[in-house]
Amino acid sequence: MTPTLLYHCPCLSNSPVPPPPHLASSSYSFHPLHTLFFCEECDAVRCNRCVSVEVSTYYCPNCLFEVPSASVRAEKNRCARNCFMCPNCRNTLSVVPSDPPDSSDGRVAIPISTVGEPPFFLYCNHCRWDSAEVGITFEKPTGLAAQLQKFEDSAPESLEFDRLKEHFEPFLRASSLSSSTSNAPAAVPSSAAHSHHLHSNSITAAASAALARDIPGVSKYNPLSRSTSTRGGIGNKDRSTNKDEMSVYKSRVDISTASRLGSGGGDADVEYMRHLETIGEVASLEQRWTNSWATPLQTGDLKPLRIPLHSKRSKRCPACTHILIKPEQKAQSVRYKIKLVAANYLPAITVALPHAQQIQSEAAKRTLGKSTITVTDDDRGTAAGGMHAGKTYPFHLALTNPLYDPIQVRLSVQRMHVATTSSAEGGAPEKARRPPFAVSLPTSSFPIAAFAEAWEYEDDEDMFGVDDDDELGLGRAGREKDGRGRVKTVGVLEKRANVTVVGGEVVIGKEARGGVKFNMLVSYTYRSDDPAPSEGNEGSPSKAAAKPPEIKTFAFYTVVDLGAIIPKEEPRSDMDF
Amino acid sequence: MDPPIYYSKAEFIETDTGNKVSRRATIAGPQNIILGGKTIISSGAIIRGDLRRTGPGHAVVISLGRYCLVGEGCVMRPPYKTYRGNFNYYPMKIGDHVHIGASSVVEAATIGNHVEIGKNCVIGKFTIIKDCAKIADNTIIPPNTVVPALSLFAGSPGRFIEDLPESTQEIVEAHTKQYYTRFQPLGR
Ligand SMILES: [Zn+2]
Ligand SMILES: [Zn+2]
Ligand SMILES: [Zn+2]
Ligand SMILES: [Zn+2]
Repeated sequence: MTPTLLYHCPCLSNSPVPPPPHLASSSYSFHPLHTLFFCEECDAVRCNRCVSVEVSTYYCPNCLFEVPSASVRAEKNRCARNCFMCPNCRNTLSVVPSDPPDSSDGRVAIPISTVGEPPFFLYCNHCRWDSAEVGITFEKPTGLAAQLQKFEDSAPESLEFDRLKEHFEPFLRASSLSSSTSNAPAAVPSSAAHSHHLHSNSITAAASAALARDIPGVSKYNPLSRSTSTRGGIGNKDRSTNKDEMSVYKSRVDISTASRLGSGGGDADVEYMRHLETIGEVASLEQRWTNSWATPLQTGDLKPLRIPLHSKRSKRCPACTHILIKPEQKAQSVRYKIKLVAANYLPAITVALPHAQQIQSEAAKRTLGKSTITVTDDDRGTAAGGMHAGKTYPFHLALTNPLYDPIQVRLSVQRMHVATTSSAEGGAPEKARRPPFAVSLPTSSFPIAAFAEAWEYEDDEDMFGVDDDDELGLGRAGREKDGRGRVKTVGVLEKRANVTVVGGEVVIGKEARGGVKFNMLVSYTYRSDDPAPSEGNEGSPSKAAAKPPEIKTFAFYTVVDLGAIIPKEEPRSDMDF
Repeated sequence: MDPPIYYSKAEFIETDTGNKVSRRATIAGPQNIILGGKTIISSGAIIRGDLRRTGPGHAVVISLGRYCLVGEGCVMRPPYKTYRGNFNYYPMKIGDHVHIGASSVVEAATIGNHVEIGKNCVIGKFTIIKDCAKIADNTIIPPNTVVPALSLFAGSPGRFIEDLPESTQEIVEAHTKQYYTRFQPLGR
């Protein structure tokens, strides 16, 4: 396993301190840097769990046509063109003519030409399902969705859905009205009749009353009379509206007679199951519940399904509602009008275990010339990454500065308060259990040079040039093995371009088990508003500190996972997974 | 920082534009193949530039952009079909920063920029893969599939799994560039 480092998003929590790494909640709070956003307004990291999302474009993932949002609802969120999904395997279906495809080359050619004889049908070139099996054929190869529309619209489940929609429409409209108006400034004077609603649902009530007046059959909306109402806490003293004014829904087909009408259920299903010959005759759960409007029991009843639309989404900061992500309108464009990602603000940190990298490099040299198809990176990593209990291992943190100004970084291990498994640096108090490991990091702050475009494009080969090989994992790891490395394990090891590599060390207890995983606080200082990049500043802290008005500090938590500890007594193979 | 990936200096030919092509790869019809520069063709790969459209003259059969990787044992073969009674091959166009994992078979029509294809995949005939998409290891993409931009596909048949992060382009670009610089000769 390769060591990992993830970044914390506090997700608007009151405490900026992340949960200790051994708790399950830890994995929900930490994310890879490239999935995080940054709100300049709040000066805070945001993640996909806490941003608010809105759809900016709908499109079909197969024909890639953009669907105007007005049509989306009418077309039930699915492509209304020629795009269908195989009900059997969810592959995209092709339209084929009924004349046999030309297979003059002797192979079983896949019929994909749409020029041929009617009737046409839909064909799956993965599992060979075709729509003729379920009695669906077409007179012409275009506008299939429209041709199928009449079947779809007259299907009992579709009619039932329409009826439900109609039934709930007034309720939905009223509640969307109320939610859109309840945030408005409460300057509208309450009517006398509703003034006793302390927290003023007067606008809702007014809208509801208006709706009741304008649309016959709609009774007055009163959220307080509903037991499911989220607006709890206000006693309902209104005598006239204290009832559920939504009428009882009556289904189209009485469920007790439904099975007799061929829509399955009850005795009909039991009878069908009794005469099964192969298991494939019964539609699988996935086929029934994700591939279909209805959920037919029999595989033979599965119908092709229009492909569900996809969407492009904008993302907003949950605290200040500033836009963090705004994609270009065009469906297949991968560009963004606004893209505030954390990687442009926070230093990127990667973690490595030199002892594991050394083994990896040697393995790479050994297998050189042989096929590496069987020797994957994963295999090598697993064999090499283990750390034995009772030993001390150095680790490297490579920090890359994305800013056009140099930054000054300080690292510290988060102390754990309720320590059953303490990873605190140095002398954690002796508890019932000995701390399984102790982590040392550089104690003083260190600089990282500014990012410059030129480094990324021109010098990338030189950075890794053949001559520099010894500066990379291999040579350095070798030196440390000589015994001299011990001195230089903790501290700044290397500076090149906008990357600084620092070394840390983990001492693993004799009885330790589990993994080496700890929270690390990273704080860095940077100049807030200085367009002119100052060159050659190797970042002496005193120089940076001499201009206090321009300096800002930002801090964030990370979780570092160095991998599993191989316990003393047990055979090593136990830890290889 | 990831350690170098070594190759035997004797095995690879390096072109003026920095392409590195294994002598153990089979490059059929090289005059019909375009490599954009800094692209790596690994050993055991088979690229069928010889399967060209019938007719006289020069034709580009397979083109790859910059910073691509064709993994070990990959087969790149242009798609074919019989249209109005005529059998023909059609060109395959692959963009920049495209990595194809070991032992995958590719018969796509077009693959955009910044696309990652895993190991042991089959990319069926006339597949269209848009920018910044990713195909997981061991995925079977049936013929004529369209893989939208920024989406992850996996399984057999390959299906949409999830949207990829907004910064996928930067990540893939950094990864392909880094891979090229890590890919270093060993020996004389
Ligand atoms: Zn969050
Ligand atoms: Zn479509
Ligand atoms: Zn199928
Ligand atoms: Zn904000």
